[in-house]
Amino acid sequence: MELYEYNLHDLLEKLNSKEISSKEIFESCKKRIDSCEDKIHAFITRTEDFAKSQLEENENPAGIFAGVPTVIKDNLCTKGIKTTAASKILGEWKPPYDATAWKYLREAGAVLMGKANMDEFAMGNTCGNSAFGATHNPNDISRVPGGSSGGSAAAVSAGYVPFSLGSDTGGSIRQPASYCGVYGLKPTYGMVSRYGLISYGSSLDQIGPFARTVEDLQLVMSVIAKYDPMDSSCFREKTHDFTHSENVSIKGKKIALVKEFQDFTLDAPIAEAMNKIKKILEDEGAVITEVSLPVVSRYAVACYYALAMSEAHTNLERYDGVRYGYTVNDASSLKEMFERVRSYGFGSEVKSRIIAGTCLTEPSRCEEYYVAATKVRTLIAQEFSRAFGEADFILQPVTPSMPPKIGEVDDDEMKGYEADLYTLPVNLAGLPGLSFFTGYSENLPVGLQLIGPRWSDADLLNAGVIIERHTGSPKIPDLN
Amino acid sequence: MKLTSEEVNSIALESRLVLSEQELAGAVRYINNFLDMLDRFKELDLKDVEPFSFAEALECPLRDDTVVKFNNAGAILNESEHVDGPYFKVPRIMEE
Amino acid sequence: MPELTFTPVIGIEIHIRLKTDSKIFCSCSTNTDAPANTNICPVCLGLPGSLPRLNNQVVEQGILTGLALNCGISPKSLFFRKSYFYPDLPKGHQVTQCDFPITTEGYIEVHDDNGNLKKIRVNHLHLEEDVGSLHHSASDGRLEGADTSYVDYNRCGTPLAEIVSEPDVASAREAVEYVTTLRRRVIYSGASDVELEKGMMRFDANVSMKCSDGRWGRKVEVKNMNSFKALERAIEFEIKRQKKLMLNGEEVLQETRHWNDAKGVTSPSRVKEFYRKFIVEPDLPPLIITQEWVDRMKAKMPEMPDVKANRYVSEWGIPREVADVITDDKNLAAYFEACVAAGANPVRASHWIRTEVLRVLNENQLKISDFKMKPETLAALVSRVDDGKISTTQGKEVFDYMFANNSDIDETVSKLGITEGGVVGNALNDIIQSVIKANPDVLEEIKSGKDKKGKKLKFLQGLVMKETKGQAKPQEVAEAIAEAVK
Ligand SMILES: [Mg+2]
Ligand SMILES: [Zn+2]
Repeated sequence: MELYEYNLHDLLEKLNSKEISSKEIFESCKKRIDSCEDKIHAFITRTEDFAKSQLEENENPAGIFAGVPTVIKDNLCTKGIKTTAASKILGEWKPPYDATAWKYLREAGAVLMGKANMDEFAMGNTCGNSAFGATHNPNDISRVPGGSSGGSAAAVSAGYVPFSLGSDTGGSIRQPASYCGVYGLKPTYGMVSRYGLISYGSSLDQIGPFARTVEDLQLVMSVIAKYDPMDSSCFREKTHDFTHSENVSIKGKKIALVKEFQDFTLDAPIAEAMNKIKKILEDEGAVITEVSLPVVSRYAVACYYALAMSEAHTNLERYDGVRYGYTVNDASSLKEMFERVRSYGFGSEVKSRIIAGTCLTEPSRCEEYYVAATKVRTLIAQEFSRAFGEADFILQPVTPSMPPKIGEVDDDEMKGYEADLYTLPVNLAGLPGLSFFTGYSENLPVGLQLIGPRWSDADLLNAGVIIERHTGSPKIPDLN
Repeated sequence: MKLTSEEVNSIALESRLVLSEQELAGAVRYINNFLDMLDRFKELDLKDVEPFSFAEALECPLRDDTVVKFNNAGAILNESEHVDGPYFKVPRIMEE
Repeated sequence: MPELTFTPVIGIEIHIRLKTDSKIFCSCSTNTDAPANTNICPVCLGLPGSLPRLNNQVVEQGILTGLALNCGISPKSLFFRKSYFYPDLPKGHQVTQCDFPITTEGYIEVHDDNGNLKKIRVNHLHLEEDVGSLHHSASDGRLEGADTSYVDYNRCGTPLAEIVSEPDVASAREAVEYVTTLRRRVIYSGASDVELEKGMMRFDANVSMKCSDGRWGRKVEVKNMNSFKALERAIEFEIKRQKKLMLNGEEVLQETRHWNDAKGVTSPSRVKEFYRKFIVEPDLPPLIITQEWVDRMKAKMPEMPDVKANRYVSEWGIPREVADVITDDKNLAAYFEACVAAGANPVRASHWIRTEVLRVLNENQLKISDFKMKPETLAALVSRVDDGKISTTQGKEVFDYMFANNSDIDETVSKLGITEGGVVGNALNDIIQSVIKANPDVLEEIKSGKDKKGKKLKFLQGLVMKETKGQAKPQEVAEAIAEAVK
C-alpha cells in the first residue's frame, strides 16, 4: 500500500510511531498528484514549494497534524499565496492574511499541497463553472465531481491528500462529497469561523472538511471548530467534543424520513441506498419515523436562491479593480473602469446572480422578494425545529440523481437549482449535515445525507461512524 | 415576462455590468424564470411572520476599543496597480 | 390681494465622528492625521474574506449621544448594507443602521424668533462607518488639469453617528442654534469632541417652502456644508432661491444641490443620485442593549449645557449671555461651579470668569484645562473684593499677578503691599499727620481760611491717597483730614 492511500487516522499513527516521516508522505502525495492531476484538474494553484518550506520550517512538530498534507478550497485566504475563488476578477491577488480555519490547520502542522478548484465564487454545483477549467470526478473522469467544492472533494477522493477543506452555502460540500465518494460535513452555522472565507451568501456559508473516513472528519473538526473572535457569528459559549469513541450507539434514536420528499423521484441507486441505510439503522436499534416539511419541500429552493443572490451581489460589490485583482489602466472615467473590470472579470453565472440579487433588493421589489424570502426562511427554520422535536436526525438524499457527464448540464438553470432541494434547506436553517458514503453502483459512489439539529455535529459524526462500520469506507480509484 | 430587456440592462448597469447582446438575452430569460419561481411566495400568508436574519437568537459580540496595528499595510498597497506614493489613485472624480 | 408669505420647512442631517481609539469594525487607529493609508487593515479595506467586529466603545458613545438628544435607546438594533459604487467605499456598500437604529425619537430645544423655547424633534440617531477621503489634486499638489483622484482610507471605518431631525426647523438662525446646541450637548456627554476644523461634524439640509396660498414647494436636499456659517448661508440661499421661484409661479424641482462655499451658491449636484438599496448586514448579529447598560450610561451623563445655562439664569440670576458663554465649555462651567461651591457670589464669579478668566485664556491661547488658578483661589479673590477688603482695581492686579506667577492669594497680597480692608484708623491718621507735617504752608493756608473752594484740602487728600497706595476709602480720607486740620 502506498503512503498516499492511508487515511488520516492511520497516517498519524504511523507518523507518531516514527514508522514513516512527513517527508515520505509528502513525496508519495506529490507523486500521486503528478500522475493524476492532468486527468482530474483538482487544483487552481499547486503549492508544493510552500508545503516543502513548511516541512523545513517545521512550525509545530507537536501539532496533531504535523507533516500531514492537505488541500483547501481556493476561496479560503492564504497569506502570500494566490487566492482566486475561481474568478478572473481576483487576478493574481495574494491575501495579506490567512483564513482562520486554514490558520488553525497550519498551526496544527498541516502542510498545504494546493488551492482547490471550485465554481466561481462558489456559485454552481458541477465545478465546471471555474475560470480555470473543469475538475473531473476521480471515479469516472467523464463525470462532474460536483460543486462548488469539487476540487477539494476530488483531491481527497483521488488520494492526493487524506483530508481537505471546502465550503458549503447550499450543498457545496455535501454534494461533491457524495459524487466523489468521500465523507463531507457541513457544520452548524457558526461552528467554524468564516474569517478569510471569500463570501458568497454570508448567512449561509460554512467551512467544513472532506475525508475518506468519518473518524477523520472528527479529527479535522477537533482542530477547525474553535472559537474565533474575528467572526461575529462564530459560536462563543459552547465547547464541542469531537473525540472519536468506539462505543457509540444509536439505539433508540429516532431517525426520520421527510414525508413530502417521498413523492419525488430518485435515481435507482440512490433509492436503493435509502433502503439499505434504513435497514442498517434499524439493525442498530434506531427507530425510523417520519416528519413533515411542507414549506421546505415547496419553498426552500426559491427562498434559498433569493437570499443567496441578495447577499452575494453585495458581497461582490467590492470587486472594482481599485485595490486588488484584475484591473484596467486606461479607463477615462471611474464608471468605465468599474464596468470594464466587472464585465470582464466575472463569469456569466456570477453576472446572472449579481443581476438577480440587485433586482430582488431594489426598493420597488425588496418587500415582494427579498423581505418575503427572509420571512419564508423563518418558517423553514421553525419547521425544522418542530421536526427535531419529534426526531433526532433526518435521513435524506444529497441529490436526486447520480453525477452527470461533464458538459451534460441542463440549459434551464431553474431545473438545476431544484436539484439542490435536499441540501440547501440545511443552510437556510443553519443545521449540520453529513454527506456519507453508502457503497458503489457500477463504480460510481452513492452518498446520502444525515442532518441534525443545530450544534449536533458531534452526534451526527458518531452516527456516521456506525453507518461506516456497515458500509465500509470508500476506496481510492485507480487512475493510472 | 416580468422584466423587459431594457429593464434588465439598466439593473446590470447599476451593478456596473455591461452585457453583450447574447449575455443580455440570457440574463432576461434567467431573471424572468427566476422571478416566476419566486412567485410561489405569494401562496403563503407572510403578514405576521418575522423576517429571519440570523440562525439563532444571536447577540452581536462587542470588541474592546483597543488599537491593534495591522502590520502588513504595505502588502495591501502592493496588491494594487493603482498606487501613487501612499495613495490609491482612480480616474478623476468630479467634486460636485 | 394679501401679500404672500412663505414658511421654510427644514430638516437637518448631521454626521458626527464619535470619540474612540479604534475604528467601528476593526482595530485600526482612528487617527486620520497619520500618513495616508497607514491605518488600514483587511477589514476596513473590505478585502475578500474579512468580517466586521463591532467596537463596544462606539455603542457606548452612541448611547451617550442618544441620551444627550433625549432619545430612547432601542433594546435591539440591526446593521444594514447600503450599496453604491464609489472609490472611497471599498466594500461597495456602507455598513449603517438606517432602518433599525440604536435610538428612538428625541428632541432638542431652541429659541424661536420670538425668544420662546421650541422643540426640534430628532427622528433617530444611527451608527455607521465613515468612508475614505478623496483628494482631487495631483500628488504634487497641482490642482488644475489633474486627471486623477487620490484615495486615503485612514478615515474609512471611523465611527459616525448620523442624527436625523424632523422638519421642525423654520429658519437658518434656528438651524444654527439647533446644531450649536446639539454640538454642545454631545461634547458634554463625552461622546465626541466634535472638532469642527477637523471635519468631525458635517451637515446636510432638506429645505422646502410652504406658501400662504396653500402651495408646497418640493424638498431640496442641500449637501456639502462643513461649518455653522456654511449651514446658515446655504439655508438662507435656498430659502431665497425657492421663494423667488414660487413668487414667479415656477416649480421648485425635487433635487440634490451642492453648496459651493466659495461662491456662496447652491447648484444642482453633478453626481447622479446614487442608487441605494439595503439588505441586512449578514455578518453582524443584532446589537442588544440592556436597560441596565442604558442606566449605567445615564449615570455618566452630566447636566446638559442648555439646562445648566437655564439654571444659572433662573437660580442665580446670571445674565443669559454670560450663562451661555460659560456653559459653552463644559470645563469652564465646571470651573465656575467650583468657584460658587467655594463660596463666591455666583453673579460676581460669573463676571470675573466672563471678563478676566476668558481674557487671559484668550490672550495666552490657553484652554480652561490649562488654567492653573484653583477655583477656590478665584473664589477667595472674588469674595475679598466683594467684602470690600480689596478694591476692584487691586483685585485685578492680584488676579494678573497670580495668573502670571501661579501664586497663592495671601502671598500675592503681601507681595503687592496691599493692606486688606484698606488703610483705616491709626494707620490712616499716621499718614495724614506725616502729610500735614510735610506741608506746613498748606496747613497754614487752610487754617487761615484762605481755602474757600477746598482746593487745598483736595490737594492733601490726593497726597494721602497716594501714600496709602489707593487702599483708603476717599470718603474716610476726606473726613479724617477735615478733622485733623480743625
Ligand atoms: Mg449617513
Ligand atoms: Zn482596519
